[in-house]
Amino acid sequence: MSFYIPIGPQHPVHPEPLLMKFKVEGEQVIDVEINVSYTHRGIEKGFEYRDYMKGIFLAERICGICNAAHTLCYTQNIEQLLGKEIPPRAKYLRLIVEELSRIHSHLLWLGLAAHQIGFETLFMYVWRDREKVLDLLETITGNRVVTAYNTIGGVRRDITPEIEQKIRKSLDYLEERTKYFKKVVMEEPTVLVRTQNVGILKPREAIELFAVGPVLRASGIKHDIRADDPYIAHDEVPFNVVTYDTCDVYARILVRVDEILECINMVRYSLDHLPSGEYRIRMPVIVRPPPGESVSRVEAPRGELLHYVRSDGSDKPYRYKVRTPTLANIPSTARMLTSRGDYIVYIADIPIIFGSIDPCLCCTGRVMFIDIEKSKSWVWTYNELVRYSLKRFERHD
Amino acid sequence: MNEEEIINILKEKFGDKIVECKIPMKRRVFVEVSKECYKDVVKFLLHDLDMKHVEAITGVDAKDHFEVIAHIGYGISVSVKVKISKDEPVIDSICDIARGVELYEREAYDLLGIVFKGNPNLKRFILPEDWPEGVYPLRKDYEAEHPKPLR
Amino acid sequence: MGFTEKMIRWARGRSPWILFFNTGACNACDIEVVAALTPRYDLERFGLLLKGSPRHADILVVTGPVTRQVRDRLIRIYNQMPEPKFVVAAGTCATSGGAFWKCYNVYESLDSVIPVDAYISGCPVKPEAVIQAVNLLAQKIMKG
Repeated sequence: MSFYIPIGPQHPVHPEPLLMKFKVEGEQVIDVEINVSYTHRGIEKGFEYRDYMKGIFLAERICGICNAAHTLCYTQNIEQLLGKEIPPRAKYLRLIVEELSRIHSHLLWLGLAAHQIGFETLFMYVWRDREKVLDLLETITGNRVVTAYNTIGGVRRDITPEIEQKIRKSLDYLEERTKYFKKVVMEEPTVLVRTQNVGILKPREAIELFAVGPVLRASGIKHDIRADDPYIAHDEVPFNVVTYDTCDVYARILVRVDEILECINMVRYSLDHLPSGEYRIRMPVIVRPPPGESVSRVEAPRGELLHYVRSDGSDKPYRYKVRTPTLANIPSTARMLTSRGDYIVYIADIPIIFGSIDPCLCCTGRVMFIDIEKSKSWVWTYNELVRYSLKRFERHD
Repeated sequence: MNEEEIINILKEKFGDKIVECKIPMKRRVFVEVSKECYKDVVKFLLHDLDMKHVEAITGVDAKDHFEVIAHIGYGISVSVKVKISKDEPVIDSICDIARGVELYEREAYDLLGIVFKGNPNLKRFILPEDWPEGVYPLRKDYEAEHPKPLR
Repeated sequence: MGFTEKMIRWARGRSPWILFFNTGACNACDIEVVAALTPRYDLERFGLLLKGSPRHADILVVTGPVTRQVRDRLIRIYNQMPEPKFVVAAGTCATSGGAFWKCYNVYESLDSVIPVDAYISGCPVKPEAVIQAVNLLAQKIMKG
């Protein structure tokens, strides 16, 4: 007997629709199948109807949270096709906005992960501090979330010395708060019990299944596009690639918190060494690059992002391809969610494991369970799953 | 290992099966190979040259043929391109040497109709359930339009 | 209009419960709506609560252009909400399709799928706009 419970997110935890089918035996999860077709909009075809300047605005709305990474990748791609080099000041300004948006994305994720564990206080604290970053982005670019700062040839606005002062003050505040959150994460027993030795992805599996981003770095593999294939000013601004080698959800939390601290240092360095000069080169509104193709890669907050473009000489792209980091992490997620041998995955662990890859397509969706032994299947909403996992951990404490 | 060395090693090993190569900019190599040695070239790059990472598989509808491009590599990005005919859009799948590309190949199959022989799970991936069979949205003869409004 | 009816309408307007649903959006509107719950904007002081099930909700807030795959689920949720129910289209994508012109998998606007009572523009919506819209709708409910 199977019955369907409708979708209904309570605290919208990335409420993008997604369907996962789990095969369970008692409390253990054996197999999972993931269906991501709910958010397919047909954007790659949409690029072919828009000329290059308009395409920036479509690229931005592929993901609202990593919008700085998408526009950066897009404009870099077109500049590579045209063979143009942007001025040094524009590179540093692009870096500042990219790193600020990475801080924003990681703080957002930390709050949502805390919510999935049941730690509402941390969720509210982190989201309050995230407002400071949004204020900075609004001062620099004019909008809180979807910033539209990058354009073909550079950036749209310059920053003044007053804005620089504001950024520095906010960075000091954010650094202090992030160190406090790191202390909370490392010492709080709720967090440790729910996240250590949960959702394990061994290094060999991570390489074979082509994981990217913090998921890869939490399994001990030192790979970051900003270090291996530097773009904009990343070859001049020093930073450390953060890795941890416990391969579980706890490592992923620590990787992201440490990356926030690295980003704060990178923004400070860029402000100290900001070159003077032009912040954009003027391009015509209708851009016609010569026929050719180009590949551009950027380290988005969730991992490695790839854009491929082919142009045939006209004012619209012939083919534009986007490969987002969450798609690359889905095989690894499926691996993390199946029990094998000594490694057992309980139903109550599913929300935090899935949340630990920082999915940019959702977690609130319908989750369908098929119990082999009792041969029945039922469907829960994501929030019922979260509530079940919270209840289960309460009983054990 | 830099870009020219990669091209020289490939030319040495595969001879005239490499149709064309170019280096448009730093850390990017574009190589076009013939259909028979696509899988061998990918295997050579992944295991012998230790590049280890397939980033994406792109399908392109050039007007009179299809192309499949595999983007490989962590630091230097090597794009391996293969041309296949429109009447018989079949190519070998690389799932047995690279386990994580199953979803990329399913996406190319769903949106363009290219069949990857050997993929264990080649079925609908990203288009909705009620999408008509045999209609491939990324082909050049498909004109994009919004679905009809319900009210 | 009897006294009881006035009381009910007043109660409904003073504490509307919201159900939030994303139909394939880019996530920017969603995080702004959730940001409206955080301490800086604090929707809950107006009596608004974000609920988990359509059976409990008065107002349905929808973001995103409606994709083909999600359309049936959206209609099912709409049918499960008890009368009287209201729908708010948050964001330019829900109002008119937004930036997704000529993207083959999205409907042109939310009101081509379900009837809509209020529209909020913005890409993404500002949390202040969300608070104002829900409050205006609540006042409309109270007046009838």
